[in-house]
Amino acid sequence: MGIRKHSIAVALALTTAAFGGLSAKAEDVKLTLWSLDRDIQPAPNLIKEFNAQNNGIQIEYRQIQFDDVVSEAMRAYSTGKAPDIIAIDNPNHAMFASRKAFLDLTDMIETSTVIKPQNYFPGPLKSATWDDKYYGVPKATNTIALYYNKDLFKAAGLDPNKPPQTWDELVETARKLNDPSKNVYGITFCAKANEEGTFQFLPWAQMGGASYKAINGEGAVRALTIWKQLFDEKLTSPDTLTRSQWDSTATFNAGNAAMVISGPWEIDRMLTDAKFEWGTALLPVPQQGAQRSSAMGDYNWAIFSSTKHPKEAFKALEFFASKDATMYKDFGQLPARADLPVPPTGNAVKDAALATFIEQMKYAQPRGPSPEWPKISKAIQDAIQAALTGQMEPKAALDQAAEKIKSIEG
Amino acid sequence: MRRIFASVRDGRGFDIMLVGVPFTFLFALAGLPLIYNILMSFQEVDMFSLGSFIRPFVGFDNYVALFKQPETIPILTNTVVFVVGSIAGQFLLGFGLALFFWTNFPGASWLRGLFLVSWVMPGLVVGAIWNWILSGDFGVLNFFLRESGLIDGNIFWRSDPDFSLWAVVIANIWLGTSFNMILLSVGLSAIPGDLYEAAEMDGANAWQRFWTITLPMMRSTIGAIISLGLIFTLQQFDLFAAITDGGPNNSSNVAQYWAWDLSFRQYDFGRGATISVIMTVFVMFAAAVYVRSTRHEVRG
Repeated sequence: MGIRKHSIAVALALTTAAFGGLSAKAEDVKLTLWSLDRDIQPAPNLIKEFNAQNNGIQIEYRQIQFDDVVSEAMRAYSTGKAPDIIAIDNPNHAMFASRKAFLDLTDMIETSTVIKPQNYFPGPLKSATWDDKYYGVPKATNTIALYYNKDLFKAAGLDPNKPPQTWDELVETARKLNDPSKNVYGITFCAKANEEGTFQFLPWAQMGGASYKAINGEGAVRALTIWKQLFDEKLTSPDTLTRSQWDSTATFNAGNAAMVISGPWEIDRMLTDAKFEWGTALLPVPQQGAQRSSAMGDYNWAIFSSTKHPKEAFKALEFFASKDATMYKDFGQLPARADLPVPPTGNAVKDAALATFIEQMKYAQPRGPSPEWPKISKAIQDAIQAALTGQMEPKAALDQAAEKIKSIEG
Repeated sequence: MRRIFASVRDGRGFDIMLVGVPFTFLFALAGLPLIYNILMSFQEVDMFSLGSFIRPFVGFDNYVALFKQPETIPILTNTVVFVVGSIAGQFLLGFGLALFFWTNFPGASWLRGLFLVSWVMPGLVVGAIWNWILSGDFGVLNFFLRESGLIDGNIFWRSDPDFSLWAVVIANIWLGTSFNMILLSVGLSAIPGDLYEAAEMDGANAWQRFWTITLPMMRSTIGAIISLGLIFTLQQFDLFAAITDGGPNNSSNVAQYWAWDLSFRQYDFGRGATISVIMTVFVMFAAAVYVRSTRHEVRG
């Protein structure tokens, strides 16, 4: 009995102590944040720094897998269990913003001293915009440009400092570099049956003056015809249809393709894997002087409209934005900021590549924004693949896609 | 009170309880999701109604819209080709291997166990490895075919619409053969040896013994294998994700992958559920055929 009484007393003491401990912290506002960032990526680290400030706001982090971000967020929102803040892939932003699942931040951004719209690249900002209102803040950004193998340029008698500028030059250069006897394709890119395929094709259509709303425009048909030409003449591997951007670039790094279209996420791997001199160039345009365009990737921050602490959540976003300046140095991701120069890394090749991507970033355009983006994207992927496998003519394939997109958008 | 207690302990109540426990379990974990899925196929579902039961009822709209899509019929055809091709390949190779190991040469059982390695490997890993093997430019399969003089140029297994579905079938056959082999080996070892002795005395040759003893005695095992094969191939998802993504232009897309794509990539949950219902009907039909064909064996 004595022991039992004693233990009850101890338990009671412990409980009071625990409650005491809790009540001291109860004034803190608790926020939850979801993102797919791993421990070496921005979100968890920025949160750690933010929490260390002890400013009365504590953020709890939950990591979500890439494939689950949207479906988890939907389920959570529809059952009233949404987090306060989420990092969302930019083409999915409009789906949530258009249904007012995200909070309209326009007024808060107007008075903010940290987050200023004019500081951002137009493409990323547009992806967080719906109906001329800001429903989020770009978290990071990326785009695609042309990488080319300078050694192979020299071997083919081409000037390694004069990468192709126009589509015709690109095809011509690819022909000269193509060497089946040495297992070298002229160029590689990604026409896969997923979002990556759309990501790579859309800039071409946009450079040709088309848009996803008019995907069968003349410029888009010409772009797809050029892509088909690359396949028909075997200037690119037929597996470009099923390889991811990452895998395609691996064939470039191995010397099996003389050019590749991909993004800045390749730089570090290329520096170690590619045993040759390489350079970067802006995406070739339809003809000299034509408008430029490029793809735009990466995530936006958004606050769910169901949050009980919009002010505190916005404070967190301001804190994240204030760390944009060191984002590349700390995490190797490009901030979506036009006002922040990426500091030199000390590696001339890397700095030159980064300069190309930052220049290309100015022309990057978001996919959409449309709440029905995933379906629109699927229609575009199907058209690209139908044309490239020779099952349909480029014009017919894009006409069909345009019709599908029209019925999707209603 | 006492009667009820007695009945539960030993009587009808006990029987009902025995049936009730697994039935409740099945209903909660398989029945409810199935009913929910059928319900969803008749509703308009989007992200904001995902959490509620009551959603706009659209009748057969999802079904009609689905069959209006130009890719539906090719994808359903692909599914049949994938299932039949995979099961035929897995079964024939598995049976061949089982008969081979049945001869019981030294180390046979040991080797047979090793074959299971392919079965225990995760689908995504198998997919990634086959992704390399089937690669057009530097894939091992093309290398062997070229060196043995079977082909002149490289076959782009994953990217040629004429081959892409077969690329996944090949990988799936490799994945499922060992499982078939093990189950068939068990069936083979259950056949009494004296049957063969008697047949041999009567002068039956190896071929006759196979057709008149082995095959008939294996009937229920073969039925089970094929229905399990049907379930496993209709569940096969990882290989598609790893090898072709259903491309190019849906030429290797099958119903199960498409259902996932519609639900979780295009967020059209209603249509995704519709495909699942169509698949369920298909599987139930196949299951009914299987149950009928093996009924008298089960009752002994």
